[in-house]
Amino acid sequence: MSTAISVAALGELIAGWIGQGKLVAAPVQVGDRLLYQALSSAAAAVFDARRRPANSIKEFLFPRHEQIFRYRLEGKEIALSDVVPEEREQIVIAAKPCDAAALPILDRVFNWDCEDSFYTARRARTTVVTLACAAHDDACFCTSVGSGPADESGSDAMLFDRGDGQFEVKAITEKGRALFGVSSAEADDGTLKRAPQTKFDPARVARYLEANFESPLWKDLTLACLGCGACAYTCPTCHCFDIVDEGNAAGGARVKNWDSCQFPFFTLHASGHNPRSAQPQRQRQRLFHKFSIYPAKFGSTLCTGCGNCERNCPVGLGVLKVLQAIDGEARRLDEKEPVQA
Amino acid sequence: MTERLRQTARRLLEEGNVQVVIGYGASGPVFITRPEDADKLEWNDRCFANLTVYLTRKEVKALGKAALVVKGCDERALVVLEKESQIDRAALYVIGMACDGLGAAKCVECQTHVPRFADEVIGTQAEPPAPRCAPEPNGLDRLMAKSPAERWAFWTAEFARCVKCYACRQVCPLCYCERCIADKNRPDAIDTSATPKGNFAWHITRAFHLAARCIGCGECTRACPAGIPLGLLNQALAQATEENFGYRPGMDREAEPVFGAWSPADKEDFIG
Amino acid sequence: MARQDDWMKKNLYKPDLMEVLEVQRQTPDVKSVRVRFRDGDRARDFSFNVGQFGQFSVFGSGEATFNICSSSNWKDYIEFCFRRTGRVTETLWQIGKGDTIGFRGPYGNGYPMEAWEGRNLIFIGGGIAMPPIRCAVWYALENRAKYGDITIVYGARTVADLTYATELDEWSWQERVRVVRCVDPGGETPEWKGEVGLIPTVLERAQVPAQNAIALVIGPPIMIKFTLPVLDRMGLKEEDIYTSLENRMKCGVGKCGRCNAGPVYVCKDGPVFTMKQLRSIPNDF
Repeated sequence: MSTAISVAALGELIAGWIGQGKLVAAPVQVGDRLLYQALSSAAAAVFDARRRPANSIKEFLFPRHEQIFRYRLEGKEIALSDVVPEEREQIVIAAKPCDAAALPILDRVFNWDCEDSFYTARRARTTVVTLACAAHDDACFCTSVGSGPADESGSDAMLFDRGDGQFEVKAITEKGRALFGVSSAEADDGTLKRAPQTKFDPARVARYLEANFESPLWKDLTLACLGCGACAYTCPTCHCFDIVDEGNAAGGARVKNWDSCQFPFFTLHASGHNPRSAQPQRQRQRLFHKFSIYPAKFGSTLCTGCGNCERNCPVGLGVLKVLQAIDGEARRLDEKEPVQA
Repeated sequence: MTERLRQTARRLLEEGNVQVVIGYGASGPVFITRPEDADKLEWNDRCFANLTVYLTRKEVKALGKAALVVKGCDERALVVLEKESQIDRAALYVIGMACDGLGAAKCVECQTHVPRFADEVIGTQAEPPAPRCAPEPNGLDRLMAKSPAERWAFWTAEFARCVKCYACRQVCPLCYCERCIADKNRPDAIDTSATPKGNFAWHITRAFHLAARCIGCGECTRACPAGIPLGLLNQALAQATEENFGYRPGMDREAEPVFGAWSPADKEDFIG
Repeated sequence: MARQDDWMKKNLYKPDLMEVLEVQRQTPDVKSVRVRFRDGDRARDFSFNVGQFGQFSVFGSGEATFNICSSSNWKDYIEFCFRRTGRVTETLWQIGKGDTIGFRGPYGNGYPMEAWEGRNLIFIGGGIAMPPIRCAVWYALENRAKYGDITIVYGARTVADLTYATELDEWSWQERVRVVRCVDPGGETPEWKGEVGLIPTVLERAQVPAQNAIALVIGPPIMIKFTLPVLDRMGLKEEDIYTSLENRMKCGVGKCGRCNAGPVYVCKDGPVFTMKQLRSIPNDF
């Protein structure tokens, strides 16, 4: 039974959701960039299975800035007031599978031992509808980290572009079913042949990383890095954050902002000691955190292979090149001394 | 030109005059320290980056005496850096590449196709080439034709996308402060938050700090992951600098920087 | 409203309001502060393990990480110690009795006081490292029968930089407690009766028996680096030498990523580690 839906019908659905007061986010063309944005009108949504937005959907669950409470300063008296959470339902539509796949990965750290209720509250009221990929570019490497162009992880429903202005809909979770009013349907995706070739072996990389914290590779590979946060901020899985107070003498708010291990003062101690005072050390940390530390601690690679880091890097770096170089070196060493499986 | 570039790099490294050649590689900047690696150098229409930014980075300085590949637009930064005592120009070997444009918006109005202060120029450019792409839709003239209220609305909408990644700062060869004002919390002058207040404060401050210094390489605009036309802020101030002081940063090695010099002829008609 | 209240209670980033009971000047740039929960219920329900830390707020300036340096047996207040060194501590320097600050915690793994029962305890600290040692010392003294001999080797650059000087005296009069005080060469005053020398040297000279002992060493990396060989010569094994790491922290609960060093998050897996555990953490902290 065909569960196909036309672009026009999708537009109507979206307009309906917006009309109901829900926040609907989708890829939007902004100048020469495709960016996920909250929609003010359904017409702005771009359903393009061949392109990936330059940012990620984490913004809608883990915003770049949010207040965690407010404070009023009245001499010796301090009054704290809570930030009332939004109750608004959120729908992210036409998200890339590599964006959705990041969410179960992020769930782990935000629920580790104690719950970050800001994240979990948003997560609970967000439905993610992905658009399976019909193409990839050289920066994509989802298949190398266990994902793929039709990876259902993190998706509540998935659309497949039939190429004729119609989209097949596959509802994956209850939320997805609630949204599209269809029961789960098998949709012919045929996207597997559009998946990128695997470009490295993450297990081999992790093994190399564990044994080679100090390695001249770090400097050689990452000297070009200028230490901005473009990779981390456009990455679907990067989640480091900062907590600061902002206000004036009368009061203000404590806020949570995105942060990045690539910034020079990220690890600066009050004593003045900075364990990562050079860029290669900071780049090493990013690689390690994503491909060695997080997997060891939380059981999943902190990367979905979306390629945003490389595309957004002002000097074209990103993690893939470094991973391939590490993998190459690891393979070379393995050949000299085969690893006992 | 690529072959000549590689030969030059190989020669410089073999002769031991430089320890590193900073240039463009297949997928980004490369730092060639061995003559046999000179073949990694490329020259093509993807050589966007302004490599002068590396001259003030300590990890690169630690590599030793450098040779640097520059386009005519990038080279202007060298002049400013030298004037501000950030580089020892005599210790730097500048390989200038004559460029007929990379197809970027900034190339349309470029007046420095051939580097003027290089130790060696590769390629020649007899006359400016025909523009290969249309001018920016939000060019400075169009922006300044809007009313202040419209311009405020324009920037409010643009800055709403800023995530404070500081890519604009990190690619800029003239943002070389060891500790940027945005990274200080005593005083807490600029909110780090990506809010309207925090974003305006950051971008306006950065534009101010680059006033009469920005050379218009456009890297900030290219680097911005959110596609904000940041260069327009700097261009506006550059235009004001030229109109009021007849000064264009990086064009003339002898000219005194506007903020570093005073002359009795400086206009005072804006003082009450 | 109940649902909202539930959500508010779960806000892990929201501190408790604390009343400042007392501020004491320990050295020219170090103060100790005693605070108690303004909320009586919270005060009653609160408990912690020595060695844990809190994120202390100065609203408007931010949070800073300090060890809770009072004994976990004391129910009327908690205490922390800070050096005036940055934005938060500069503002903290101005607070006095009756003021309000914030507290989030307790965080971290704390000292394994139960595992240390029956052992001799050797505490070694330099400068502002006394506060995180102090809580363990008081705890051990309050459970005296459970612990063996207690040795405290504590030093600072100068006499004026010694924190909790009066308590050092008090401890030295307790049974089976030996206190070795030292200052760096040049830091002594004419009246100084303690040792003069760097801590590793003083420790070696002190000839502390190390059988059945654990050592807690806290101080700047350079001090620890030179103290370890001495402990090794004394016969202590790496799994019996403990330290408490200091890292830049923000959330304190293993989410913000700042204190991640190698395979550990210092705020959750630490800050207390044995030397053996530290070997598995790359030099990235």
